[in-house]
Amino acid sequence: MAPAGRSVRPGGPIAVTGAGVVSPIGNSLAAFDAALFAGRSAVHARILDLPGIELPPVPVASADFDAAAVEAPSRVPLDRATAMALAAARDAARAAGLAPGGFDPERLGIFWGSGMAGAATFEATCRTVYADRRRMRPTSVVTTMPNAPVAEIALAFAARGAALAYACACASSAVAIGEAMRAIRAGWIDVAIAGGSESMLTPGVLASWQAMRVLVPLGAAASDAAAVAACCRPFAAERNGFALGEAAAAYVLESPAHAAARGARTDAILAGYASNCDGVHITQPDASGQARAMIAALADAGLAASDIGYLNAHGTATTAGDAAEAESIARVFGPGGVPVSSTKAIHGHLLGAGGAVELLASLRALAAGCLPMNANTIEADPAFDLDLISRASRPSPDLRHALCSSFAFGGTNAVLIASRA
Amino acid sequence: MTRPTFAAISSVLVEKFKVDAAKIEPATSLEQLGLDSLALMEFVFAVEDRFDVRIPEERLDPRQAGVTLEQLALLIDEAVAVRPGSDAAAA
Repeated sequence: MAPAGRSVRPGGPIAVTGAGVVSPIGNSLAAFDAALFAGRSAVHARILDLPGIELPPVPVASADFDAAAVEAPSRVPLDRATAMALAAARDAARAAGLAPGGFDPERLGIFWGSGMAGAATFEATCRTVYADRRRMRPTSVVTTMPNAPVAEIALAFAARGAALAYACACASSAVAIGEAMRAIRAGWIDVAIAGGSESMLTPGVLASWQAMRVLVPLGAAASDAAAVAACCRPFAAERNGFALGEAAAAYVLESPAHAAARGARTDAILAGYASNCDGVHITQPDASGQARAMIAALADAGLAASDIGYLNAHGTATTAGDAAEAESIARVFGPGGVPVSSTKAIHGHLLGAGGAVELLASLRALAAGCLPMNANTIEADPAFDLDLISRASRPSPDLRHALCSSFAFGGTNAVLIASRA
Repeated sequence: MTRPTFAAISSVLVEKFKVDAAKIEPATSLEQLGLDSLALMEFVFAVEDRFDVRIPEERLDPRQAGVTLEQLALLIDEAVAVRPGSDAAAA
C-alpha cells in the first residue's frame, strides 16, 4: 500500500500562463529577477510602536506598495494583504490574457492562501476600540475575514466555479496552488487564479514573533543598515532566525487543453504537488514528514529525485528548522544531491504568501536557466550535507525541473514541482 | 436643513463613495444612491465623523425605505446643536 497522501501515478501537468507579484524585492517580474539573482536583500530594521512597552527593533522586509490605490470590487475597505492580493491577481490575469468574456466563469476557481488575512486591519480595529476608544466600523468583519482576499478576487473576475481560502500557516499558498492543480486535474474547473498573500508587519504581530524568539535579534547592529540587510543567514552555522516580510503572488493555472484552446502562452508547467502532515509537534519540524512530502510530490510529477535541478528550500534560518530540512533533503536526494537555496534571506519570511513567492523564484530560475543564490551565507553549516548555492547565483542552462518546499507551524508540509514549459 | 450640512454630505458621497453628483438632491432617498446596506452604514458613519456627532440609532436606520438626504441633514443639524461644546448647546 502506498503511504498516505502519496500518489500512485503522476497527476498530469498544469499550465502556468501568467504570474503577478507584490513583494519586498519587487512588484514586477523584472524587478523581482534583478534582486533574486543578485541576492539583494530588502530586510531593514523596524521600531515597534507599542505605547508604554519598550522592545528592541526587529528586522522586516516590507513591500513598496500603495494599498490605497487598489480599487475594491466590493467597495469595502481593503486590508493591505487583500489589496496586495488583488494587485497580484490582476497582474497575473493580464499576463495570461485572461479577461472577462474570454473564459466561462463557471469554470474559473479562486484558490488563495494566507496565514492571517486581515491581521493588520484586525489589529488596527482593536486599537480603535481599546486605545482610541472609538467605535467599530460596519465593514470590520468583511475587511478582516480570512477569506477576504479570495472573495475580492472572485468578485473582480466574477468567478463562479470556486472561491476557497486555505490557512495552513507558512504552507498556505503552496497548498492553495496545489489544491487548484488538483481541482483542474479532476475536471471540477478548467482555470484557476491561485496564490497567496500576507501582510502583518504590525507592532502586535511583530512583537508576537519576537516573543517566540525566531526573529534575528539585531542588538547593536540595528542602526547598521548593511548588517541588518544581511542578518538572515539560512543554512549557515551562525544562523539565528528570520525577518518577517509581506507579499502576494498569483498565478493563472489551467489545463493544457484550456490554455491551448484560448491560445494562451504556457510560461511553465506545474508538474507535481503533495501535502501531508508531520503529526508530531506544533512547531518542531520533522525531517521524516518533510521527506515523505518531497517523495510524494516527485511521484505526483512522475519524476525521480535526480531529475530535480534546483530546490528552493523552506530555509527559515532557525537552528532547528534548517537542521531538519538539511536532513530531509539529504534523505531524499542523497548527500549534496541537489543545488539548494533559501531566498528568505532577501525577501524575509512571507508566512502564508511564502510558498507562492518562492514558487515564483523557482519559475524564474527555470526561465533564466540560473539558480538563485542563498544570500548572506558564505559557507553552509559543516554539519549539513548540502550543495548550497552560496556566494553567487549559479548558471544552469539545462535546468528542467525545480522543487519548492513549504513547511508550516502545525505540521503541514506542501511541496510543489515546476518544470520548464 | 442648513446648506453647509447638505454640501458636506454631498462631498462625502462624491469623494468617498463615488456617487454621481447629478444624483444628489435633498429629496434623493438613500436607496436611490446605489449603495448596498453595508456601504450605507459606512456612509452614515463617515458623515457623523465629519461633524463629530452621533445620530442615535432609534432616530435613523439607513436601511429603512424612503429616508432622504434632507432628513439625514436635519438629523445632523440636530445632533450638532446638542453636541457638547457647541455654541448652540452652550446657549
